[in-house]
Amino acid sequence: MTLTQTASALDADAIGRISDRLDEPDWLRALRGRWWERASVTPPPTGQEEEWRRTSLDALPRDVELLLDAPRLETYLPPGAAEAGVILTDLRTAVAEHPDLIERLLGQADGPGSHAHFWALAQAAWTGGLFCHVPRGVAVDGTLVARQSIPRADVAYHPVSLVVAEEGASVTLLEEIVSPDGAAGWYGGIAELRAGQGARVRHASLQQLGDGAWRVGAERVVVGQDAVVTTLNAEVGSRVTKLGLQVLMSGKGGTSKVLGLLAAGDDQQIDINTIQDLAADHTTSDLLYLSALYDRAHASFYGITNVRHGTKQTSSYQECRNLLLSPQAGAEPIPVLEIEANDILRCGHGATAGAIDPTMLFYAQTRGLDPDAAERMIVRGFFEQVVARIEDETIRERVLSALAHRIGSTEEQERAA
Amino acid sequence: MLAEHRPNQSGFAETGDPGVTEERMALPNPALSQIPDSYKYGWNDPEATSLNIAQRGLSAEIVAEISRFKGEPEWMTKLRLKAYRHFEARPMPNWGADLSGIDFQDIFYYIAPTNKAVQSWDDVPDYIRRTYDKLGIPEAEKKYLAGVGGQYDSEVVYHNIREDLEKQGVLFLGTDEALKTHPEMFREYFGTVIPANDNKLAALNTAVWSGGSFIYVPKGVHVELPLQAYFRINTENMGQFERTLIIADEGSSVHYVEGCTAPTYSTASLHSAVVEIIVKKGARVRYTTIQNWSHNVYNLVTKRAVAYEDSVMEWVDGNLGSKVTMKYPSIYLLGERAHGEVLSIAFAGSDQHQDAGGKIIHAAPNTTSLITSKSISKGTGRTSYRGLIKVYPGCERSKSTVRCDALILDDEARSDTYPYMEIDEENVTIGHEATVSKVGSEQLFYLMSRGLTEAEASAMIVNGFIEPIVKELPMEYAVEMNRLIQLQMEGAVG
Repeated sequence: MTLTQTASALDADAIGRISDRLDEPDWLRALRGRWWERASVTPPPTGQEEEWRRTSLDALPRDVELLLDAPRLETYLPPGAAEAGVILTDLRTAVAEHPDLIERLLGQADGPGSHAHFWALAQAAWTGGLFCHVPRGVAVDGTLVARQSIPRADVAYHPVSLVVAEEGASVTLLEEIVSPDGAAGWYGGIAELRAGQGARVRHASLQQLGDGAWRVGAERVVVGQDAVVTTLNAEVGSRVTKLGLQVLMSGKGGTSKVLGLLAAGDDQQIDINTIQDLAADHTTSDLLYLSALYDRAHASFYGITNVRHGTKQTSSYQECRNLLLSPQAGAEPIPVLEIEANDILRCGHGATAGAIDPTMLFYAQTRGLDPDAAERMIVRGFFEQVVARIEDETIRERVLSALAHRIGSTEEQERAA
Repeated sequence: MLAEHRPNQSGFAETGDPGVTEERMALPNPALSQIPDSYKYGWNDPEATSLNIAQRGLSAEIVAEISRFKGEPEWMTKLRLKAYRHFEARPMPNWGADLSGIDFQDIFYYIAPTNKAVQSWDDVPDYIRRTYDKLGIPEAEKKYLAGVGGQYDSEVVYHNIREDLEKQGVLFLGTDEALKTHPEMFREYFGTVIPANDNKLAALNTAVWSGGSFIYVPKGVHVELPLQAYFRINTENMGQFERTLIIADEGSSVHYVEGCTAPTYSTASLHSAVVEIIVKKGARVRYTTIQNWSHNVYNLVTKRAVAYEDSVMEWVDGNLGSKVTMKYPSIYLLGERAHGEVLSIAFAGSDQHQDAGGKIIHAAPNTTSLITSKSISKGTGRTSYRGLIKVYPGCERSKSTVRCDALILDDEARSDTYPYMEIDEENVTIGHEATVSKVGSEQLFYLMSRGLTEAEASAMIVNGFIEPIVKELPMEYAVEMNRLIQLQMEGAVG
């Protein structure tokens, strides 16, 4: 039986064949079926939606082949973590080895509304992904790393990443995704991160897809009572990135820091939609997205802070800053506030776009730097606002080295190389 | 001629539905001023004795009949009909405020003087009458504002000012009158800033417009006193579809003040004005509006200015009244070193939605702009700031700052901020900042410990909050504005 399947020709039978191929239990087969149903009745965006006006999906490569045999994730668990019950594995492995957990946790909620179709599609058609589970009260020292390498450029791949930190757990996780340059491909990965009561989660996602890739994905972050979550999206690769990120502050006293770093050049288009949903009292959510845009790169940011009716003493900030490093680069930062409560502690936003301040460049050059080196130094200083908030050395190094591809290396990196 | 200078036609609205930001932003908003059904002194045309359009609803025939009745040249009739087709073809905006309460077929589009029913003072809502009393508005003026007729005698004042202006060559006319007396200049500029097909409500206005002001300030002339429609309001009907056109020739300056701060009672549920302003090289125009329509009115107005080299355009825009307002005064900076400013205040009480803001389009190098917005929502009121900063490629060294602050006074109130930015030029400095806050309990406690009631203390805090904009108003407006805010805070205005 051939399993060649293009993304545009998916149907219920094809979804069933994925289950056959992966030899899945009936409950998972049924779950995929329900999500396929959902994807079928939730039409793809038309381009008229507020979140979809800035990125056209006309050229999305829908006819590439679905990647059925993705290589398993490469994972690294710090010493002692496995013994403490921490799971970090490929999602297919997790279905086989931890069926009860997966049945309880996978595919239980909708993602961001703007990306509902793609969320449902991935829940139905995933052929790989990640499962990370940290049991109640377990604090992991060190950094968990999971790396997915896509072997071909011209494929469609919709992996699901599921990260759950139970009550009182503490974990730091770096996820990396890479694919080769070249032909157009469709990376439709989605991610769900749930932090239980009092949990501490630091999560970084480092995207280095090839230059033909369309990243059309979504993430949902749920922050429980008194939990503290830091997320970082470092978007370096891809031809087009269209990411929907929902941060739901669902429990009282929860805190989230939502960080983003975009370094884009050539004809890259990066379009990020965020929702900071302050749905519980005394929650705090601060977002900071920084873009450095070279060549003809274009970055759009449409973010919403929604303070729900009836909530008290929430605190939120949304900030999007864009450095334009070429006359052809462009930015559309749009930080939206929808405030339905009056008892707020703090709520604000800021957005900027512009070139490097020429006086800064001049100053750096008077100190003997050539213009390129001066620019590199200033861009790195700009990104430092986010990098400095990454409390994990492993993540910081990996992110800086990925960014160096665009912004140039630091002297330390050059010495090391 | 203006069209040649437009950097990009797609910057205007017809580029796609409902899509492009421009289209979304260009939408409309309304007008101010007006006293529709009952105003008795609107038309000075003695021949006008019969008109067959005293009916609700709109059709091409009614549009043609309005034009015929007013004795307009053929080009205007054609333009109205073309605009009507656009109005019919365009969808209602599906963003912003809820406009589902508007029934276009239940509206009178033109009321001939002979067909007017004068309404009774007794029909004017209590809250409006009380507000007039509290503001100390003279009896005759009250009735005028309420649309009950009764001529408020500002004729003498107006004539003195008008003579003065005429000596300087300034034209300050009703728009209908200007079409008759200055047809060439009128045709040269009318509809060049806001084309008939700009958006559904601007198209409606172009099809059925009546009233409004036409102002031309010659080269180098500085009009010292603010020109107030108020002076003219008794001699020409300003209309629910008023159309205002201001041309400030090179090196001139003028400040125009639209409407008045006192609540303006209207039985008509839709007001859709269009205001076009052309600020030529080195000229300066300020346009001030305090909108205080009664709370049954949908106020959907399109206001746009084009500003050439070294010119300055300022919109000072206050929105207190109406049920729904959608209004985003915009400035196209088309010449080098042009500067644009929008100062916006919105106050939404219960059942009101003020969806207001501003748009600045940088289409030339070294242009600068500033948008300052202060909004207050109370009761179940909702304020939305909606704005756009756009910088076209090549507009080097443009600078723009947008500052939005919102106060939310009650649990059921809501405040939104939608600050659009489209930056396609590297060498620019563009920034936006916003804060949303409640009236601090410490501030209240402090003021109340000094003997103020909670309402007085809140009003004082609110007055302080909007002070940066109020100080830009002519003094009598500033005084009334502060008193109105106080009344709103006491709940006296609804």
